[in-house]
Amino acid sequence: MSIWLRQHAFALGGALVHLRRAPGSFLFNILVVAIALALPFMGVTLLENVRPMSEQMSVDPELSVFMKHDAPREQTSGIAGNLRTIVPDAKIVFVPREKALEQLHEKSGLSDVLNTLGENPLPDSYVIKLNAFRSAAESAQIDAIAEQMRALPNVESVQVDSAWVKRLAALLGILRLALLLLAATLGTVVVAVVFNTIRLQVLTQREEILVSKLIGATDSFIHRPFYYTGALLGLCAGGVALGAVALALRPLNTAIAEFARLYASEFQLAPLDPVSMAALLALSAMLGLIGAVLSVQRHLSRLN
Amino acid sequence: MIEFQHVSKQYSSDAVALRDITLTVAKGELVYLAGPSGAGKSTLLKMIAAMERPTAGKVIVNGQDIGQIKSAGVPFLRRNLGLIFQEQRLLNDRSVLANVMMPLLVTGSSRGPAEQRARAALDKVGLLQRADALPLALSGGEQQRVSIARAIVNRPQIILADEPTANLDRASANKVLDALRAFHSVGVTCLISTHDEQVLDSAARVIQLERGELMQEAA
Repeated sequence: MSIWLRQHAFALGGALVHLRRAPGSFLFNILVVAIALALPFMGVTLLENVRPMSEQMSVDPELSVFMKHDAPREQTSGIAGNLRTIVPDAKIVFVPREKALEQLHEKSGLSDVLNTLGENPLPDSYVIKLNAFRSAAESAQIDAIAEQMRALPNVESVQVDSAWVKRLAALLGILRLALLLLAATLGTVVVAVVFNTIRLQVLTQREEILVSKLIGATDSFIHRPFYYTGALLGLCAGGVALGAVALALRPLNTAIAEFARLYASEFQLAPLDPVSMAALLALSAMLGLIGAVLSVQRHLSRLN
Repeated sequence: MIEFQHVSKQYSSDAVALRDITLTVAKGELVYLAGPSGAGKSTLLKMIAAMERPTAGKVIVNGQDIGQIKSAGVPFLRRNLGLIFQEQRLLNDRSVLANVMMPLLVTGSSRGPAEQRARAALDKVGLLQRADALPLALSGGEQQRVSIARAIVNRPQIILADEPTANLDRASANKVLDALRAFHSVGVTCLISTHDEQVLDSAARVIQLERGELMQEAA
C-alpha cells in the first residue's frame, strides 16, 4: 500500500476511533443534521415527481373556440376561413360535437353519466395551436387574438387552454427557487453544526495534536481525521434523511391515492432514483467536509 | 551539526530569553545546558526544534537555517529530532506501545514494522514488559523512559531533552540519564538541559547559561 493510501486509511481509522469513543454525541449530531437535510430532500422528491407531469404538458399557446350549441354544422365548419385570417400560421383542427362526445366517453370514465343525458350537450369546436411565443410581449397577444375570435358569428366562447399549464410551470419555477433557498439555508445549518462538532473535537484532541506536531506530523496528517469525521457525519445524516423521506412517502401516498382516485388517476409519489440518491448523499458528505475544513482551518491555526 | 550565530530571542522589551549566543555542537556530542530556571535553556532547545524563531542571528541545524525554514518544512526537520520534555507529554488514552509508535505512523510507516520498532525501542529503555499498559499506570521515571523510547524510535540524529529528570527521584533520574547516554554512545547527538548540577556528567561538555547569556563552557 502506498504511503498516501496508508495515511488516508490511518486518518479514517482515527476518525472512526474517536467517533466510537463518543457514540451518543455523534448520533445526536447525525440526528440534528439529518433533520436539517430531510426538508430539502423531501422537496427534491416532490419536485422530481411533479416535474415529468409538467414537462409532458404542452406549454405552447393553445386556444379552444366553442361554437353556439344550436349553430348549424355548415356555419360552424365554415368559420375556419375566418379563423385562418386571424391566425394564418396556426394549426387549426375542427372537432365536431360527435367526436368530442366520443372522446369524453373514452377519457373521462363518465360513460354512465353521459348516457343518461340522452342528447349530446357538447358544441362543435376548434382547437387552435399557435406558434410558441418568443417573448413576453408576444405572449400578451393571445388575449387580443381570443378577443377577435369571440367577435366572430356563432362563437359562444374562447378558452386560452395553455394558461393553466403556464401557471403550473411558473408555480413549479417558484417552488424550485424556494427549495433552492431553503436548501441553501439548511445547508448552512449543516455546515454550522459540523463546524461546531469539529471545534469540540479539536479541543478534546488538543494534546494529541500538539504532540503530533512535535513528533513531525504534517498539517495534512493532523487535519485529515477531522475531514473524515465531517464527511462521515454528513454522509450518515444524508442516509438517515433519505430514509426518513422514504418512510414519509408511505402515509403521503395513501392520502394522495384517495385524492387521485377522484380524478381517475393512479398518481403516486415515487422515491428518488438511485443516481439522485447517490448525488444527495455525496452532497451531504460534501457539506460535512466543508464544515470540517472551515473549522479545522480556524481552530488548528490558533493552536499553531 | 547545530550552530548558533549571535542568536538573540526577545519576546518584549523587558523579556529577553537569549542574548547574542554563539555556539556549535558537533555530530555525536553530548552537551549539557546548565543554569537556573529562566536562564534560556528551554528557549535554546526550542529554537533547534523550530518551536521558536530567533529575533536576531542564525540557528543552523543540519545545514538548515531555522529562521528561514517554511512552516511546511518544520515537520520534516522534527523527524530528525527526538524531543523529550520535563512533562512527558504522553497520550494517556492509549497504550505505551501506541505512544511510541506515533512518530513512525506520522511518517507513513505501516503498523506491523512500526510495532516491531516501537517494541525494540521500549526494550532499549527497559520497558518492553509495560508495552500494553496505559501511561498513567507507570511511575514518573517510567513515563519519562517511554518518552525517550518515543524520541528515539525514529532513529533521530539529534536528541533534545528539556529537564528530563526534573520531577524524578535520584534513582529514576539516573535511569533516564543512563538511557540517554546509551544513545549518545552509539553516535546520537544529545543536548540535555538541567538545573540540577548533580546530574552533570564530568566527562561531557557543559554549557552554562544565565539570564539568556552564555556564561562559561566546560568540557
